[in-house]
Amino acid sequence: MSDIKIKSKNLNVYYGDKQALFDVNLELNEKEVTALIGPSGCGKSTFIRCINRMNDVIDICKVEGNIEIDGIEVNDKELDVVSLRERVGMVFQKPNPFPKSIYDNISYGPKIHGKGETKSELDEIVERSLKKAALWEEVKDRLDEPGTGLSGGQQQRLCIARAISVNPEVILMDEPCSALDPIATAKIEELIDELKKTYTIVIVTHSMAQAVRVSQKTGFFHLGKLIEVGKTEKIFKNPDNKMTQDYITGRFG
Amino acid sequence: MTKEERLKKRHKAEKRFRFYGLASIFFALLFVLILVNNIFSKGSSAFMKTAINVEVFFDPELIEIQNGATSDEILEADFYDIAIETLLKVYPAKTLDEENALIDLFTTDAEIEIKRVFLEDNTLIGKKINLDITASDDIDQLHKGNYPRDLPEDRRRISNFQLKIYDNLVENKKIIKNFNNYFFSNGDSRDPELAGIGGALVGSFYSIIICLLLAFPVAVLASIYLEEFAPKNKITDFIEININNLAAVPSIVYGLLALQILLATIQLPRSTPLVAGITLALMTLPRIIIPCRASLKAVPPSIREGALAIGASKFQSVFHHVVPLALPGTLSGTIIGLAQALGETAPLILIGMVAFVVDIPSTPIDPSSSLPVQVYLWSESAERGFVEKTSATIMMLLSFLIVMNFVAVYLRQKFEKRWN
Repeated sequence: MSDIKIKSKNLNVYYGDKQALFDVNLELNEKEVTALIGPSGCGKSTFIRCINRMNDVIDICKVEGNIEIDGIEVNDKELDVVSLRERVGMVFQKPNPFPKSIYDNISYGPKIHGKGETKSELDEIVERSLKKAALWEEVKDRLDEPGTGLSGGQQQRLCIARAISVNPEVILMDEPCSALDPIATAKIEELIDELKKTYTIVIVTHSMAQAVRVSQKTGFFHLGKLIEVGKTEKIFKNPDNKMTQDYITGRFG
Repeated sequence: MTKEERLKKRHKAEKRFRFYGLASIFFALLFVLILVNNIFSKGSSAFMKTAINVEVFFDPELIEIQNGATSDEILEADFYDIAIETLLKVYPAKTLDEENALIDLFTTDAEIEIKRVFLEDNTLIGKKINLDITASDDIDQLHKGNYPRDLPEDRRRISNFQLKIYDNLVENKKIIKNFNNYFFSNGDSRDPELAGIGGALVGSFYSIIICLLLAFPVAVLASIYLEEFAPKNKITDFIEININNLAAVPSIVYGLLALQILLATIQLPRSTPLVAGITLALMTLPRIIIPCRASLKAVPPSIREGALAIGASKFQSVFHHVVPLALPGTLSGTIIGLAQALGETAPLILIGMVAFVVDIPSTPIDPSSSLPVQVYLWSESAERGFVEKTSATIMMLLSFLIVMNFVAVYLRQKFEKRWN
């Protein structure tokens, strides 16, 4: 059993009058991939957006309860979100590279966090990040071309490279493959397998097969409640809850 | 209805719609064509002026200065006698009335035109030169064919005697047309042949620059704050509604406001581009804020999220990513707002730019006119010569607006980045 990296306690989230999460208690292990599954609108994305406080940008969103990373409270108003997000990277559903060059896409994060002082340091970070994201070979000769000119799968790997450029501890992935074809998806999954050696990864997915392939732990959400969580194998082979059983066998959702 | 009939009906509906669309475009173009044709046919002649070729003799007995005089001396000197002698030589006049009629064929600035030649070459005393002296407005209009000759003499501004001289001059090829430099270099004048848009051009230029300097930064900062930083609540909703209302306020109201606050209370100098610029800035502000906010809104939220998610602060995500992407739209919105301000007349009339200003302003706090106000002033004048000047000024104004709009479109297309 690995160490616990992220721990949520009685997490409740409201969008205006609507409650999106109900008393979620979830523990995520270090250097492991945790998959969150569940039907649309069940609160998976809301949950991971609590981990790096991306919900702050939504005016009507209110978060109650606790989330700890390494024992440090995330919801603490005193906590600087900038340094939190430096530690917790995020990859979105739709690839969203900046409309800048590939190089600038990667070097932006290190630059604003003061991690690459000189050009050569930045060059090194860009190369290392792209290599880790398995994109280096494809783009090394055209780093000054716009990131938006890459294919969808390459863009998503660029976004992953961008996320790891600041050397985070946790990477949140919000349905990273939903806009990609099967080949690009396979590449991202391989990449996730590789990345989990260094990072704690939380992935939201609609594909059960993907959850089985990439994750060690799976949590099943339904209508804002965490129904069941456990080892991926167990959840998919022998779930305790009837609802989980119904969902993974495709009876609803 | 059978399937075929339904299909037929659908095709017919589409054909009908296409026809309506084409008809509307045709009508719109027709009106543009009529407008442009009207302005061009009236205004294009204003870019040429009529001049009469005369022989000037710098008679040493008629002037007190010598060859080699300094320019100060020349400016002081009286060229009136030389000018009169020159003009009277054009045609034999017997009576004083006839002499006056002859002199009236030339611009009132004939003396100054002769003096100007001497300023360039101060060795002309005792010599004879040929010079094209600008004709009076009446001859100018007659020569351009804008003046009916067949009216009875008592209803004409040009007498039969003057017509005779004119015909004689035409026969001797003494009447010529040349480029009307006065139209661009002179300020306003009571004499149409001397009136120009120089003062109005400079006044408009100063006003627009002041308007830009005031309105652009304020509008951009307000838009960025409202769009990116301000909380969405009742107060910001209220502000948003009122910005939209302000953009719809008739421009004359801004003129009244400026009259009350800038002129009456702060006592800024009346009729100046400074006041005009401030007034236009007030008016343009909401008209820039609206497109600026729209282009900020058009930047996809995924860009903001992407920046925030790697730990950019709100400020960094806005100024490193959102603002550069919104810039093309902001700039083109600004230019279109300025183009509207350039054509604005009503508020400027209220703040006194309608005054008759002959001098070209050298600073923004000199009294001045502006292009649209000049159009308004001249369109009210009775002299025939101002009709073509009015249209020519409209042509200048329209060409500035077209250039500005082209720049706006160019900027938007050149710098617009595509994102998915």
